[in-house]
Amino acid sequence: MSESPSLMISPGPHLKAELTTKQIMWWVNASLVPLFCWAITIYGLRVVGLLISGSLGALVGEGLVNYLRKQRQTMLDGSAVLTGLLLVGTLPPGMPLWMPSVGGFVAIVFAKMLFGGLGYNVFNPALIGRAFLMATFPLAMTTTWLKPFEAVTQATPLNVWKLEGVFFNNTLHLFLGLRSGSVGEVSVLLILIGALILLFKGIIKLYIPLSVLAGLLAIAFFSGNALFQFLTGGLWFGAFYMATDYVTAPINPKAQVIFGLGIGILTGIIRLWGGYPEGICYAILIMNAVTPALNHWFRPTRPEQMGAPS
Amino acid sequence: MDMQDELSTFSRGGIVTDDRKTLTSGKPIERFVPKEVVIPLIQHLGNPCRATVARKAKVTRGDRIGNAIGGVPIHASVSGVVKRVALQPHPTLVEAEAVVIETASELQEPVWEEVSNWEELSKEKMLEQIADAGIVGLGGATFPTHRKLNLPEGIKVDTLILNGAECEPYLTSDHRLLLEQAKDVVWGAVLIAKIVGAQRILIGIEENKIDAAEILNKAIAKINPSQKVFVVICKTRYPQGSEKQLVEALTYRAVPSGKLPMHVGVLVQNVATAVACYSAIRYRKPLLDRMITVTGRGIMEPKNLIVPIGTLVQDIVDFCGGLHPRTVKVISGGPMMGKALGRLDCPVIKGTGGLIFLTVEEVRREHYGPCISCGRCLDACPLGLEPNQISIYTEAGRQLETESFGTKECFECGCCAFVCPAMRPLVQFIQVAKQSFMTREVMHV
Repeated sequence: MSESPSLMISPGPHLKAELTTKQIMWWVNASLVPLFCWAITIYGLRVVGLLISGSLGALVGEGLVNYLRKQRQTMLDGSAVLTGLLLVGTLPPGMPLWMPSVGGFVAIVFAKMLFGGLGYNVFNPALIGRAFLMATFPLAMTTTWLKPFEAVTQATPLNVWKLEGVFFNNTLHLFLGLRSGSVGEVSVLLILIGALILLFKGIIKLYIPLSVLAGLLAIAFFSGNALFQFLTGGLWFGAFYMATDYVTAPINPKAQVIFGLGIGILTGIIRLWGGYPEGICYAILIMNAVTPALNHWFRPTRPEQMGAPS
Repeated sequence: MDMQDELSTFSRGGIVTDDRKTLTSGKPIERFVPKEVVIPLIQHLGNPCRATVARKAKVTRGDRIGNAIGGVPIHASVSGVVKRVALQPHPTLVEAEAVVIETASELQEPVWEEVSNWEELSKEKMLEQIADAGIVGLGGATFPTHRKLNLPEGIKVDTLILNGAECEPYLTSDHRLLLEQAKDVVWGAVLIAKIVGAQRILIGIEENKIDAAEILNKAIAKINPSQKVFVVICKTRYPQGSEKQLVEALTYRAVPSGKLPMHVGVLVQNVATAVACYSAIRYRKPLLDRMITVTGRGIMEPKNLIVPIGTLVQDIVDFCGGLHPRTVKVISGGPMMGKALGRLDCPVIKGTGGLIFLTVEEVRREHYGPCISCGRCLDACPLGLEPNQISIYTEAGRQLETESFGTKECFECGCCAFVCPAMRPLVQFIQVAKQSFMTREVMHV
């Protein structure tokens, strides 16, 4: 008889697929790099400061709550950083550098950790962070957009349309991202590239983003310039990066389509008939509130419901 | 490559992964006989056996050494002397009563005489011989085969499916059996089809065993049975070899939850069980040996083996060149549904499908995290159950509220836990919930 080793006992399965929660989070972070590089190129290095500020606020929030609650430290699981980066993606590039920290901290502490941490939050933390900043610092949140390649402020195309009724007339610039806007939202092209990475890694599916876009288009036809509505604002960033958050979106594909359509339609309604020029943030938060109900109504069907055997 | 589109498979869920079968798929089955065997008195679903031999008794390979009321008997898998009948380590039950036999020095296979007119035996006679041979489902379920083949009143079966899917990664012994004993496999199928009255036999194999198809077809042509026999090639996809999934892949019939394949006119038998039935009917040969795959990076020389039932894992390890120094886990069965062994001095039993030795690099040991509602487990579940909800409720101590998520229907294939990025032990949560339901039922009786 040879030596008897100490053997591990654990329940099956004894094999695991590669992708872990941590890897998913860091892949989403990585897929944002092209977008942020573009923002740095057109709005300047201060964007780096904003990104660091937002992530730091989020990390401190996560670390602090874990420490106070004596929980396993989860700062490096990628999700807090992701919340920080996504938050900065929704902010105007000219805002004071310290502000995203406040937003990131509030997002993590109040919208995520107080609900029980990762997996238990009802609302998208980054969007709660944005909504908080919007309520707290309305001036900075609405007047600090920058003109590409020039360090001067410039209203966003949606603002100009809302206040003056004038459409941004260069569709190609809208698509490529040669316009003023929030840090992560301006380039539809680069958002699509990021989304392709996530699709290729099997991290997101298209049910939600496509139905968000379809929902908005359905409303945008009433606006006189559907293409303009389609390519402006945070629609694409919201559709591919915010609405697809696993935790706050429904699980069932049918429910996801309803969720997405709801977001798109609400975005359109807020834009066309509401007081804000942009509506995706609140549209997603409202549909987040509907998610538990959608999860309850839409469940997988099982074989006994598959009909009589043939 | 347009054949690809025509490959059968089940409709929902499942996983495709690196099957790691090439470690052993090219290696012929070797016979190994140890110096001592430990034959547990309980190896099947049902009542345990009572030993009919005592210390110092001389036994010959094939002698009956234990009987069970309502169960199946056990036999001496080697010739030799009974050393003791005592509690011994057991691969699934931790410890159980077993007959320990010291192998005689001169090994001689007893002569198995052919039963006269064996091709024409009555159904009852064949069932009796299968029961006497101690045959249980060798796919892992270990349900007594004569009982499975004895269909209840009013149930009619038109199709026999022979399960050669061997969908668990790593395992190759069924594949080798198909290659090396195709004729016995087909004969077994033909005899079983006779017992249950099936006019059609479908032999289901996965694409990674495509070389077996040709050999099987040759065997079918040679035997030329009265039933229609087809070899059906399925996509390589786990859990194809699970009964309901295979029935759907091969016949497009959906087995409703709570029902068995026979309720939709199908009976499924594992290929190794078919061979055992063939030997029992033609030669009255009991189930004495077990074909196993010994594999994984944790064993120095991976092999396909045929060993007497009762062979200790430790002896097999020694025969296969010993353990890799970094081996940390030994699995009895497949890597998806098999059980981790805590010790190497337990025996191979009738239901042991393989021994997989994993090194520290192949084992994941991270903490599990909270459910992030990604939905991967729902996509992977072949039954459309909701492992995510079961795990969350069970974590909160509310497992008795999980029935609507399908707790009781789960057959623990492990696809959900395999894909879970949060590493949640979903199967274990489901087992806990099932146990709570069982406890409640017992309390209410």
